[in-house]
Amino acid sequence: MSIIEVKNLSKRFEFYRKQAGLFGTIKSLFYRKKSYKDAVDNISFKIEEGEIVGFLGPNGAGKTTTLKMLSGILYPSAGQVSVLGYNPQKRQKDFKKKFGIVMGQKDQLARLITPMDNFTLFKAFSEISDDDFRSIIDELTKLLGIEDVLDVQVKKLSLGQRMKCELVASLLHSPKVLFLDEPTIGLDVVAQKNVRDFIKKYNHLKKTTIILTSHYMDDIKELCDRVIIINFGKIIYDGKLAHLISTYATDKIIRITSIEPIRREDLERFGVIEDYQGIRASIRVERESVKRIASEIISSDLMIDDILIDEMPIDDIIRVIFLETNGDSK
Amino acid sequence: MLKHIKQGIVIIKTAWLRNLNYRFTIIMYRVGEITELLVLILMWTAIYSGGAGVIKGFTLNEMVTYVLIGNLCSLAVRNFLPAYVSRDIVEGRLSMFLVRPIPYIKYIFFNELGRSFLATLMSLLTQIIVILFFLDKFVFNGNIVYILLIIAMIFLAFVIELLIGFLIGTIAFWTDETEALQVTIDRIKRFFSGGYFPLSLLPMTLATASIYLPFAYSFYFPAQPYLKKISVHDGLIGLGVQVIWIIILSGILHLVWKKGLKKYEASGS
Repeated sequence: MSIIEVKNLSKRFEFYRKQAGLFGTIKSLFYRKKSYKDAVDNISFKIEEGEIVGFLGPNGAGKTTTLKMLSGILYPSAGQVSVLGYNPQKRQKDFKKKFGIVMGQKDQLARLITPMDNFTLFKAFSEISDDDFRSIIDELTKLLGIEDVLDVQVKKLSLGQRMKCELVASLLHSPKVLFLDEPTIGLDVVAQKNVRDFIKKYNHLKKTTIILTSHYMDDIKELCDRVIIINFGKIIYDGKLAHLISTYATDKIIRITSIEPIRREDLERFGVIEDYQGIRASIRVERESVKRIASEIISSDLMIDDILIDEMPIDDIIRVIFLETNGDSK
Repeated sequence: MLKHIKQGIVIIKTAWLRNLNYRFTIIMYRVGEITELLVLILMWTAIYSGGAGVIKGFTLNEMVTYVLIGNLCSLAVRNFLPAYVSRDIVEGRLSMFLVRPIPYIKYIFFNELGRSFLATLMSLLTQIIVILFFLDKFVFNGNIVYILLIIAMIFLAFVIELLIGFLIGTIAFWTDETEALQVTIDRIKRFFSGGYFPLSLLPMTLATASIYLPFAYSFYFPAQPYLKKISVHDGLIGLGVQVIWIIILSGILHLVWKKGLKKYEASGS
């Protein structure tokens, strides 16, 4: 049996629609129109032990909702979920001791006390032994480089440091499965890299199964072998990342900044202009030609100050996939 | 059982660590407390100065003592659960507890126990200062039986207040507008607990009603044995009523929590 198995999973949210304006507000006191949204629509997948799988998709696609159903925070409207052989809906204590979750937008740490005080509290929650606790703290804090902030009030830590502490908190009980919801959101580039490196190393050491949601392509690229793309609650793609990139991310973006404004016409011969602002521009170019065109731009007589080769934004890639597959799952 | 207590101790200690950060809050609460006590005492002094030596069985000294002891008792049993619980629900922080291997209720109870212990300790210091000022009016009761009865009453009242506070907090499962309801319930509680004046001053029907409600045991009832206005026998009956209320409220809470969680999961935070 796979570590995580999801079959025909759906989640429908009900909500009330209200007309805009004062009249609408008064009207809504007496009558409200019920609407529903299928946040997750009949998805199925299996994940094996030790995999790091990326859930990709734009905001509102259903990634976080799926994670919440995998962790038991939400109940499905239909379908089955099995994680480590448990039904998350039952919220059994043994199950909770075997998985960890970090939600980038929600913090678990109490702000007025130190990380160490927080860890001590979580240690009591999960009934971790003193010896295990000590060795895990040593190991994790060393890997993340936060040994010297353990006795500083959480509210005085930087966002990056706090995120690292949140990660430690979620791993204290050595979970077999880890759910990371937007773990690098709001972090600076250095912190993002640190967190990614840590996750990679941790997965390598402990063979923890990890599901990671993000709308940063870099997170996914660094960490995930396999990606599941979700949009409008449906799985659009489930497979190897390399295959995804070579098949669907056909283009790359060249971003240039110049000392003096360059004329738009001078750039048009290199590719499709996505964005133009005088001294800044983004040009979409086919993947195979990007190096050649980039060197053409640099060696041309245009006053280029800086040049950056970037991936197509994930939203665009998804749009491409969505159009290609016409909304069918997989 | 031991495991639960060990867990509880860690939670209580953490609550102390957190609350000791609120230095300014602690001081301001003391200032407010002293002011309130002084106002009540001065009010009663004024009322009695009209010539009445005894009002409904209370002399001025007894009334002053009632205010002081009753206040200490009500502080010992007070909690802020309505605010904490409703905030956790409305802001979705409850989700983080749902994934932990410890029940939310257990955590909240122990956390509040820790905070309350600290707050009561602080209040005790303030009370002693005020008592020293009104030493001539204060009635002393060193009888150990009464003291034990009062302590038992206060402990049970603490549990009752926790359950009530939690229940009020769960309103947040069904509406965002929890504050108005909380304030109103607070006022009703204060009235029926004897916080404004001894319940024996109320008309018969209301006074009798208050005996059967759980609120009286947070203020009036502990203060009464102290003043020896209630026999030990009646005090024990009071304990019995408290236990019944604890059972009833626990049952209600269990049901409400289940229903509330279902609603919480439906909306997804």
